[in-house]
Amino acid sequence: MSLAMIVAIIKPHKLEEVKEALLANGVEGMTITEVRGFGRQRGKTENFRGSEYTIDFVPKLKVEVIVPDTDVDKIVSVVSEAAKTGKIGDGKVWSVGVDRLLRVRTGETGTDAI
Amino acid sequence: MNILTLRSGGDEFRPPRTVRAPKPPKQPLMQRLKDKDRQKFFIAFFVGKLVGVAAFFFLVKTIGPWIIGQAAHASGVKSQDTLGCSAVPYPNTGAVAATQAECNANLVSASNTAWVLVTAFLVFFMQAGFMMLEAGFARTREVVNILVECIVDTCLCAILFWAFGFAFMFGVGNAWIGHSFFFLNGAPATYTLTGATGVAFMAFFLFQFAFADTCSTITSGAMVGRTGFVGDLIYSFCVSGLIYPILGHWVWGPGGLISTVAKPGGTVTSWFVLHDFAGSTVVHTMGGFIALAGGIALGPRLGRKFKRDGGGLPPGHDLLAASIGGVILWFGWYGFNPGSTLSAMDAAGIGRVAANTTLAAAAAGGSAFAFVYFRIKKWDLGISINGFLGGLVAITCPCYWVNATGAIIIGLVAGIVVVFGVDLIEWLRIDDPIGAVAVHGFAGIWGTWSLGLFATGKYGTAVGLLMPGTKTGSVKFFIAQVGGNVIIAVGAFASAFAIMKVIAYFKMLRISEEGELEGIDIHEHGSPAYHPEAAYMGKGLT
Repeated sequence: MSLAMIVAIIKPHKLEEVKEALLANGVEGMTITEVRGFGRQRGKTENFRGSEYTIDFVPKLKVEVIVPDTDVDKIVSVVSEAAKTGKIGDGKVWSVGVDRLLRVRTGETGTDAI
Repeated sequence: MNILTLRSGGDEFRPPRTVRAPKPPKQPLMQRLKDKDRQKFFIAFFVGKLVGVAAFFFLVKTIGPWIIGQAAHASGVKSQDTLGCSAVPYPNTGAVAATQAECNANLVSASNTAWVLVTAFLVFFMQAGFMMLEAGFARTREVVNILVECIVDTCLCAILFWAFGFAFMFGVGNAWIGHSFFFLNGAPATYTLTGATGVAFMAFFLFQFAFADTCSTITSGAMVGRTGFVGDLIYSFCVSGLIYPILGHWVWGPGGLISTVAKPGGTVTSWFVLHDFAGSTVVHTMGGFIALAGGIALGPRLGRKFKRDGGGLPPGHDLLAASIGGVILWFGWYGFNPGSTLSAMDAAGIGRVAANTTLAAAAAGGSAFAFVYFRIKKWDLGISINGFLGGLVAITCPCYWVNATGAIIIGLVAGIVVVFGVDLIEWLRIDDPIGAVAVHGFAGIWGTWSLGLFATGKYGTAVGLLMPGTKTGSVKFFIAQVGGNVIIAVGAFASAFAIMKVIAYFKMLRISEEGELEGIDIHEHGSPAYHPEAAYMGKGLT
């Protein structure tokens, strides 16, 4: 069975919801990274000492999970529903194929290592 | 080798040993001892060493007593609070002072000295406030540089002020510069020239050192992130050792150019005198304008886009440090202003000064904060910090001589002055990360001039132009405030600008472009402020 990694860029405050949704759908592990980025509707105005300035790179969280190929569609929609607010900056979800997976402690490979 | 490039673990990373040519066998010892060339060299070398040691002892014998000869006045002098001279014999001879003046000079008032010392400690604590404020408003890559500058600056200032700064500023000399008390030699038990309050001489020295340290720390404000450390040392030397003491002498020194203090045994003869209670002009306007000179001479940090070109002020990296630093400065100001009474006996004066200080700071913080809300519809932290600091700077000159209403008005205006000052500096394309020029320079100018408007006239000055009462001498008083302040501002700016340009000419003022892009912390100090990598221990990244 082949594997896929689902990557989601989400708003930081959505982390708890996305985590609960993933756990409820059979995912047992995930990695998060703090990232910055922008999409089509870029730019946000902040201010310092009375002057405004526009920032391009907005803080987000990247969530990475590894799932079997067959579950990709289900997990993508689970994540996207959990992360959605309807406002700009909700993020994106995508999946990438994974060649090889190994659990360091036991040496299990493939689907057994998920 | 930079710590950051050291690798952890295993032999495979160690560079191969270089193989050297084998050394020739040594001559046997007896043969070496008989070698004529070696003997000649040894004699020359040894005699040279003896000459060096002799020269050192000679210097110690001749110059040493002069440098360390001044007494610390720590023991033996009886202290009391009333001027009953016959009860206070000299410690060594038991004789009694011949004149009241001589007696006064040796009478140390314990309470006044304790007061001045406590306030000096508070003013010194402002250094911690400055470090936090400046570091908080700068970027992470500049933090170590700011902290080192503040610390080294303090150390340098103390030594220079002891050696000749205090002498230039508070020594007896002429209208331009003082020339007694070098290395604090020949100092009497108390410093009486500003009025005999019986403050022990060394305590007064400490208090004034703390003020000098404040001024020289302000000057680094507009120069963060791009000043080479050698250049920083040189201009720090000039500010603490030359500009501050000499210009300070004009305002606070005995017989100074525009000073309210006369030479001992004389009277004040200048046409106008500048009243500056705790240093809006001497410390803050001077510091702000030296910072301005530095900011102009240096140019902006790389990549800096100004508001008029579509960019803006880069945000500070740590507003927590900046705000706490600002409030520490406010706390320290309770030493700065009330301590300048130099007397614990003037309790009404101390209370008035402390209250005025508080009200002006509060009013300024509020007015800056409210004004900026209408501009950007947000409640801005940075401007409220700069606002109350501006209020504190402004009230520093008039605090003794105004009443509470005057203090509040002065503060309200100071907050607005700071907002517009920050805008002006940004518009002039001067990169001032801390806002030092606006907060210290411009608010200091407003504070000094405001004394001419709001003085009550009840505490030894003429009545201010906007206050009720007979205005004899009020116009001259106001002109003196304005004129004196302008003299100091122009003098500070011109001398500092000249010095900076000279340092820049020798390429010591600004660091190289790659150094600045890499980050001045790594370039000048070899270490980042945050997350220094502990990898060289081989057991993890942090």
